[in-house]
Amino acid sequence: MNGAQHILQAFQQHRITTVFGYPGGCIMPLYDALVGDVSVEHVLCRHEQGCALAADGYARASGNLGVCIATSGPGATNLITGVANAFQDSVPLLVITGQVPSELIGTDAFQETDVLGMTLGIVKHSYLVDDADSLPDILIEAIALAQSGRPGPVWIDIPKDILLTQVNPEAADQKEREGCDSAEPRTDSATHNGAIDKGINETLRLLRAARKPLLYSGGGITLASAENSFREFAEHSALPGVVTLKGIGNPGRHNPNHLGMLGMHGCRAANRAVDECDLLLVFGARLDDRATGKPETFAPNAKIIHIDADSAEFHKIKAAVLTISADLNDVLHALTCGVKAQPLNIEAWQKQCRTWLTTGGFQAADNEEALAPITGPAFVRQLSRIASDDTIISCDVGQHQMWVAQYYQFNHPRQHLTSGGLGTMGFGLPAAIGAQFAQRDATIINVTGDGSFMMNAQELATIRRYRLPLKIIILDNQCLGMVRQQQELFYENRESHINLDDNPDFVAMARAFDIPALHINRTDQVRRSIETILAYKGPMLLHVAIAREENVWPTVKPGGSNREMIENTKSAKKKTEESAA
Amino acid sequence: MNQVIPSSTTTSNRHVLHCRMQSEPAGLERLCRVVRVRGFRIAGMSVESSGEHFDIALTLEGSRSISMLQSQLLKLHTVGEVVLGAQQARSVA
Repeated sequence: MNGAQHILQAFQQHRITTVFGYPGGCIMPLYDALVGDVSVEHVLCRHEQGCALAADGYARASGNLGVCIATSGPGATNLITGVANAFQDSVPLLVITGQVPSELIGTDAFQETDVLGMTLGIVKHSYLVDDADSLPDILIEAIALAQSGRPGPVWIDIPKDILLTQVNPEAADQKEREGCDSAEPRTDSATHNGAIDKGINETLRLLRAARKPLLYSGGGITLASAENSFREFAEHSALPGVVTLKGIGNPGRHNPNHLGMLGMHGCRAANRAVDECDLLLVFGARLDDRATGKPETFAPNAKIIHIDADSAEFHKIKAAVLTISADLNDVLHALTCGVKAQPLNIEAWQKQCRTWLTTGGFQAADNEEALAPITGPAFVRQLSRIASDDTIISCDVGQHQMWVAQYYQFNHPRQHLTSGGLGTMGFGLPAAIGAQFAQRDATIINVTGDGSFMMNAQELATIRRYRLPLKIIILDNQCLGMVRQQQELFYENRESHINLDDNPDFVAMARAFDIPALHINRTDQVRRSIETILAYKGPMLLHVAIAREENVWPTVKPGGSNREMIENTKSAKKKTEESAA
Repeated sequence: MNQVIPSSTTTSNRHVLHCRMQSEPAGLERLCRVVRVRGFRIAGMSVESSGEHFDIALTLEGSRSISMLQSQLLKLHTVGEVVLGAQQARSVA
């Protein structure tokens, strides 16, 4: 068995059934091994970035390892954005690239790049294999490492000659056995011990002493598969709660104490609660700048308790009075027992937060005029009402992404696929493709903008090839809306290179890939068009012309304080003018 | 307008970190990259290879928290130990 064949055997041993890739010169031995192999489904995307982002979407939707494969040189460099995306959002990914033959490394050979060197900052770990007999060890370690503790991408760069070299069968057999025993658990989580018990007791003491405690949760809840434990704690503690972009869906649709997303485009109620709280209980979040705004003014009255799998996040942005590095499930279970035994007395604070939610939550007005232009918020709210509870939404990056975060009611965090850390335009379509392979029967919708859609539009060919029943909704405002918005608000309305009024005919483009498509531009067409695409059995694209000047509200100036939220200045001005008239 | 602080008044701490990591071809690159990205400058560095390990002494300058850097270095899969040496006097760059 050569190196390439051993990789496929390792996939089988680790129950990796789907991989996303694109062949080329130095990875050809692996593609040769794939001929006739039925143990793994290889999905051919149309660009390596599509492969990496599809593997990312697969991992997010399933909770399993995503795998992508490419050749050396441009194949590897094209993967980089997708791998950086996974790194920023702690998505478990195994990346396999071919490299030029060992004797050619360092000679500036055809399609040679120093992949190991150029990817150091975007991987959890990486390997350049220099001995075929080390491959079994490396694969086992890489697969376990990508999924353990705080997950992330692990990259294996393999010279072509190593792929063709026979692997010592004894070493391979022994490592397979060891690997299957060792790769399952998330190995580097802290074990439940005395220090954690002490931290939990102290957390309960601080919770009971607080008058205005607030629950803050992020993407770490899902990474720890702690959704149920989190909901149990949220329910029994009845703590008012806020979520980050990646924490959307943590509390489900029906938690009465949930205030919504905080941060730059968060709701006023959530940011107000953070500003006023006296204890902030942070679960599975890294307190990033889009959530906190200016750190000096973030939660100024609060003691912070920070609970996360990654202790390197503690005190990084805000100092905490107490930190616990542990499996979130363990901590949440223990805290739930504590609050069940002695409920918190925070009725006045709960009431205050609910009042704020009434006046400062997300409220998108539905257009009542049938012929009125469609607005992003109104469309997303309608989509949320019509789509089933288990629909998966895969967003791109920009205004539409924020409207989805604000107005779509998610029941579970794995239903909201969004590029949080890197903010990768072009994420949504390939991520939706990956998600569809992970959840074959689920309804998956890529909600995108006209700018983002064009970043990876070649993946329409992947949808066609595999006849994926994906739905694509393009909210088209004929410009790079989020950049235009910031130019309007913070650069004295000097528009610079944001105009996209020469977009292609998206309906014709979809049809060129054998994907039926609809176009709408009026409010009275919204409901029926959504019902139509959702009822259709195959893939369908809905092109929605929306108002160019619509902004995401509220907003905070980049680097500014969340206390200084800017409200909808246009509608305020319009109301003033209407009153005067 | 942001106030620009003249470099002559910028304070910088000097630290010595002793790191032990597995010997691997990219090991030192990984270590140095984290040091740079997390806001420190390498003022001195010595490396001794003892079979399976590198023992590295880093003299670093930077105004950020050294414990934050320690935490980030420890996240590297091949780094086993990061010990802060005797902290030297605060210096003015």
